[in-house]
Amino acid sequence: MSAPATEGTRKGFPGELVGAVLLAALGVYLLVDAGAITIPNSSNTVGPRFFPYAVGGLTLATGALLALRVLRGDRGPADDGEDVDPDAPTDWRAVAVIVVAFVAHALLINVVGWPLAVALMFAAVATTLQGRMTPQAAVRPFLIGLTVGCVVWIVFVKALNVALPGGTVLEFLTSWF
Amino acid sequence: MGISDLLGGFADAITPVNLLFALLGVVLGTAVGVLPGIGPAMTVALLLPATYVLEPTSALIMFAGIYYGGMYGGSTTSILLNTPGESASIMTALEGNKMAKAGRGSAALATAAIGSFVAGTIATLLLALVAPALVQVAINVTTADYFALAVLAFVAVASVLGSSPLRGLASLCLGLYLGLVGTDVLTGQERFTLGVPQLSDGIDVVVVAVALFAVGESLYVASRLRKGSVQVIDHKGSWMTRQDLRRSWKPWLRGTALGFPFGVMPAGGAEIPTFLSYAAEKKLTKHPEEFGKGAIEGVAGPEAANNASAAGVLVPLLTLGIPTSATAAIILAAFQGYGIQPGPTLLTTEGPLVWALIASLFIGNAMLLVLNLPLVGLWVKLLRIPRPYLYAGILTFASLGSFAVNADPLDLVILMGLGLLGFAMRRFGWPVAPAVIGLILGPIAETNLRRALAISDGDLSVLVDSWFSRVVLLLALLALVGPVVLRVVRGRRATPTEVAQAQEEDREVQKAGDREGWGA
Repeated sequence: MSAPATEGTRKGFPGELVGAVLLAALGVYLLVDAGAITIPNSSNTVGPRFFPYAVGGLTLATGALLALRVLRGDRGPADDGEDVDPDAPTDWRAVAVIVVAFVAHALLINVVGWPLAVALMFAAVATTLQGRMTPQAAVRPFLIGLTVGCVVWIVFVKALNVALPGGTVLEFLTSWF
Repeated sequence: MGISDLLGGFADAITPVNLLFALLGVVLGTAVGVLPGIGPAMTVALLLPATYVLEPTSALIMFAGIYYGGMYGGSTTSILLNTPGESASIMTALEGNKMAKAGRGSAALATAAIGSFVAGTIATLLLALVAPALVQVAINVTTADYFALAVLAFVAVASVLGSSPLRGLASLCLGLYLGLVGTDVLTGQERFTLGVPQLSDGIDVVVVAVALFAVGESLYVASRLRKGSVQVIDHKGSWMTRQDLRRSWKPWLRGTALGFPFGVMPAGGAEIPTFLSYAAEKKLTKHPEEFGKGAIEGVAGPEAANNASAAGVLVPLLTLGIPTSATAAIILAAFQGYGIQPGPTLLTTEGPLVWALIASLFIGNAMLLVLNLPLVGLWVKLLRIPRPYLYAGILTFASLGSFAVNADPLDLVILMGLGLLGFAMRRFGWPVAPAVIGLILGPIAETNLRRALAISDGDLSVLVDSWFSRVVLLLALLALVGPVVLRVVRGRRATPTEVAQAQEEDREVQKAGDREGWGA
């Protein structure tokens, strides 16, 4: 197994410290906001605040302990997988493109329909992961994405009655179903 | 009781429609199990919206097929793909990959598939026998006992899965928090909704599961994608010679014996039993020189253990309503989607459904053997899908599944937000499964806790009133403190490989000691 290559090789500022501190902050938020939950008069014993306090306390303690451990040099081994290159530097551009493309497609669904929105997202993601970001390289991913989007839409909407906006063109073309 | 119920289950499961859903489930399960980066938990999560359109029996039969199919498919990947994969199948990869490289890929695939079939069938039979007996015990379980069980499941899942118990707890906390968001079931008060009206119904399980598994995994793989073409090893050689069979059948049975009990335990999952099975086969083999170079026992045993534990996980799920793996947690969410709460009363209230489910597991297992041996070439083609299209496709289905829940684009934005969380968790080595279990089991634990305390008028001693809850809470404490103590003693928590090495060394020391006469 290639565990030694992945464990503790990332240098520089530990991102996990941010995660641990945010977790502790989440614990504080839970403890503070739990006090704001209304307790109805009817509940005479343990009300809706009890469990949030418990979870908040546990979260704060875990976050604080984890932050301490990270500061003392403990690093979690990053996840491995068949398609993950443990030695590759983080490709932040790919992550950014996926996030932007996905949020854009979410906002586009009700405008241009799910198949087209998803085809654009598919094209952006696949083109980026290919590593060639030219308009020509995006044609094939877009066509594949559009085909997948339309087929999935027809199966789920026409056969399974899932509510999914299809966009004007596709809805018109399939209105005879 | 058992046999006639099971036969009734077969009668329900053999209807054409249910057979079709079983087939659909095992085909989908194998297909996505073969695809790298997609595990059974992600598949079930992506297909959870199917519960909105299918009737319960068909949907659950399909999910059971996906669950078993994912296990079979995963072994094909670990044997034929030239890169390390997920933890549960890593033991298979150790020897299976070497066998494939030595031109014995077909034999490795065959012993994995037949071993999975043998283990799956025996373990499902055990499930059918154990479940009714366990229900007899579980029916007397009080709300306080139930809470204790949930605590044990939390602790066990957090400390067993992943690299360190503290990181497991961190993930669990995130899940418990996400489970709190929404309207309190018992009093109708809004909690942690930040005044957003869409959040008053809570964050949908589908959205969280799909985000953490599918979106998180896609982002993580995209950030470190292995470049270059996919390398698949050809599967060559004869399926199984007489000698292969002779060397395989005992590991199959031993793997089953190890896998099933571990699946049943609250710290379920396949990681520990597959590792133990590998260690056992390595010790018992007559061909120790082949280990590390492609020993068939090292494929047969862990594969059997893997599948037997998958059936074992269903025991606490169906009899107690306690999920012990991420996939089980999502299947539990599917039950809840139909207003069915798995628990001790499930076998009486939904008997026919449960027995049809168990019967379909037998049928699905037989289908999987056929699908995986002669048709393996088909699945190998799936292994070669170009990765840019694979991950773009996963995101497409993530969008479909999450949008179908409420038809609200806001869900997709939440999906991406939680997906980034899943991405960060993978980078930090925080396991994802405890979060999913916390999300689904958290509200159940809270309800039972509050009911118990309402009966006792707020007296906390009710939680340790019965022997059952005392024992269970003690076990939970041990599971929490044990690893910490171990780490203090040994410096840090050992990985399975290190444990194997340590055992190896222990044995060497023992042998040396015996020779020199210190042993006495």
